[in-house]
Amino acid sequence: MLRPVQMSRVVVAGSKDVIEPVVEKLHELRLLHLVNFSGSQNGFEMGKPIGKAKEYSEDLIKLRSMARYVDVKSKAPTVTFSESQVLSQKDDLINKVGADVNSTFERITEIEAEIKTKQDQAKALRPLAVLPLPLEAYYGYESLTVFVGAVKSAVDADVAKVSPKSEVFSGSTKTSNVVAVFVPADKASEVSSVLAEHGFTEISVPRLEGNVDSAISGLEASAKSLEAEKAPLQQKLKDIRKQYEDLILATDEYLSIQTQKTEAPLRFATTENAFVIDGWVPTNEFGKLKADIESAAGGHVDVEKLDDTEADNLAEAGEDIPTKMNNPGIVKPYELITRLYAIPEYKEFDPTLLIFIFFPVMFGMILGDIGYGVMTFFSVLLLKKKFRTDGWQQLCNIVLIASVWAVIFGAVFGEIFGPLGLWGKIMGHLPEHEIELLKETGGYFGEGVYGSLGRLGPGGVFPMDRLATNAVLMLIGISIFIGVLHCSVGSIFGIKTELNYGEKKHAYFERLPVLLFQVFFAVFLLGLVMGQMIMVYLGGIVLLVSIVMNVMGPEGPMGAAHVPFYVSNLISYLRLLAIGLASVGLAFAANQLAFNVIMPMLSGGANSPTIIATIAGLVVLFIVHFINMLLGILSPFMHPLRLHYVEMFTKFYSAHGGGVEYSPFGHVRRFLKA
Amino acid sequence: MAITDAGILYGLLAVGAGLATGLAGIGAGMGEQGIGAAVVGVVAEEPGFLGKGLFLMLLPETLIIFGLAVSLILMFAWTPFAAILS
Repeated sequence: MLRPVQMSRVVVAGSKDVIEPVVEKLHELRLLHLVNFSGSQNGFEMGKPIGKAKEYSEDLIKLRSMARYVDVKSKAPTVTFSESQVLSQKDDLINKVGADVNSTFERITEIEAEIKTKQDQAKALRPLAVLPLPLEAYYGYESLTVFVGAVKSAVDADVAKVSPKSEVFSGSTKTSNVVAVFVPADKASEVSSVLAEHGFTEISVPRLEGNVDSAISGLEASAKSLEAEKAPLQQKLKDIRKQYEDLILATDEYLSIQTQKTEAPLRFATTENAFVIDGWVPTNEFGKLKADIESAAGGHVDVEKLDDTEADNLAEAGEDIPTKMNNPGIVKPYELITRLYAIPEYKEFDPTLLIFIFFPVMFGMILGDIGYGVMTFFSVLLLKKKFRTDGWQQLCNIVLIASVWAVIFGAVFGEIFGPLGLWGKIMGHLPEHEIELLKETGGYFGEGVYGSLGRLGPGGVFPMDRLATNAVLMLIGISIFIGVLHCSVGSIFGIKTELNYGEKKHAYFERLPVLLFQVFFAVFLLGLVMGQMIMVYLGGIVLLVSIVMNVMGPEGPMGAAHVPFYVSNLISYLRLLAIGLASVGLAFAANQLAFNVIMPMLSGGANSPTIIATIAGLVVLFIVHFINMLLGILSPFMHPLRLHYVEMFTKFYSAHGGGVEYSPFGHVRRFLKA
Repeated sequence: MAITDAGILYGLLAVGAGLATGLAGIGAGMGEQGIGAAVVGVVAEEPGFLGKGLFLMLLPETLIIFGLAVSLILMFAWTPFAAILS
């Protein structure tokens, strides 16, 4: 579980006569992760596509452009087709329906462009309505230049100065002053600079005739009629989508499969009469692969497994061994978190199991509320029904498992929608005199009880109120302890990983000191808190030893510069307490605000709250709790994520730069029958 | 001037605790703004970078936890300070 599936390096060699059945079988088996032929070996050359590769890829391009026009998107399959069904309808779909779709789509684009032009023209015309000129007066002159536009101040006098022979029409709309200036063509440049001084912005007048208002209404009417023409065309595309959606997706799948198969030889090494396929296969599947391929090719093919040293040499030489993560169903969703960071390298540990163990606990410890936990659980369940893609399903499963932990921690902290609210009403409180007694002796951890069971745990600390001083101090300790555990597991994996890569110096003088430092730093602190000087001395000595080891390590004295980083790693786990406190605080404030401020205030001193006061209080309660819950899902998710990525992964993961995911040659059939 | 009133001392501790968390928060925010903008840019080009981008973006967050640690020490482990009084 902590390691990827074991892989073997396989070579398939055979006569070119059987290349088609071999490719067919490989595609069907979906086992071999191909290693592309690099084209560098003597005597071999890259293979050529087999069969009708060009035709398939042309069809695929046509089909995809059509699918884009009718807006077909991948979805969960509802009907499946057999290959023969797809084959018989394929040409009709791509050529006939495709041509129809193309012409319809082109017409729609044309109409849209036309409507846009008309609207722009109408917009340009609107300010001209204040000028007393028909539209044909603005153009068609040989010796005159016309300036039409908006200005910031009156221009008549200045224009007359540079060009005595001129005519200026002006008017003002609500937002600007519009002018039309007619000057002789030879004065155009001078007038233009005069206008620029007055903040002139040009309006380009469309070449239309007649009255401005009637021109605008004419443009609007024709835009409207174009819209009316567009609607049935869009409806037509929608109808086509409805009718052919499944067939389009199935044909896309069929053509993708065919292209993949026919172009596969491009990845093989070939000679005149033979071909060689390199690849990786999960070791326990090798027998099946060998038997199936040999029987498919009627014995004209040889399937060999390279031994481990040869495979290692190839990996040394730069060939990537593909990683197939190997986790049981319940852990699998957490691969999303691993994958988001990097795919583990073949020789590395797969941290998914660790994430599965630590992540939900951290989430639960931060959120820690029965009410929020249950609400999160059911809302995620709804989301899971709604969003059916793989990514969403995994994300939902992650939060689902985590919210169960939130409920468990809610019971530990005695919180149902905040502390001291509903919990107290359902389970009851400690008697007043016991609370006083506990406060005096310093053993006060909150006043909730587990119903008739009373308080449980060592010293009766549970259920504890997270806002009580003692609880905060205890949770600080627990947070740091979780941090030491989390980081230590990471460091142990780090040592093991370095040994797997044969880097002994890195393992013992870079990874081991981190482990020692963090564990004995905790011992040191614990000794100080408990007053056990022996622990303090022991911790101190090992701390010094670990720093010395660091200095002796591959980085030399610079290694000691990492020491503050180790301490900050541990302090970082305080967020487990801190973010929880923030959300408890908000929940507590919401309850106080609703029951102790708004309800009594609006009831105007009555003994029991009035109906209006109750409603107002409940609305406030609902809003604040809702916001708190949204934050309460987001931050308990992000912060443990950070603790994994920054604090834990840096100890062992992905230091060698991430791996390559195992993606075997083949295609998952979703819309086609197998 | 020596502070002799426990109430005033406690009040000053609370102010100090608030400043520690608040200023650290501002600092962390300033650190994150640049990284966040850069990460959004990279992820727009290359969605596979999201995880590593997130890692980089969350790095400065430790700063605020330092501030918070100081606040917690001031607020909850203040007995040593009280000893100054006696």
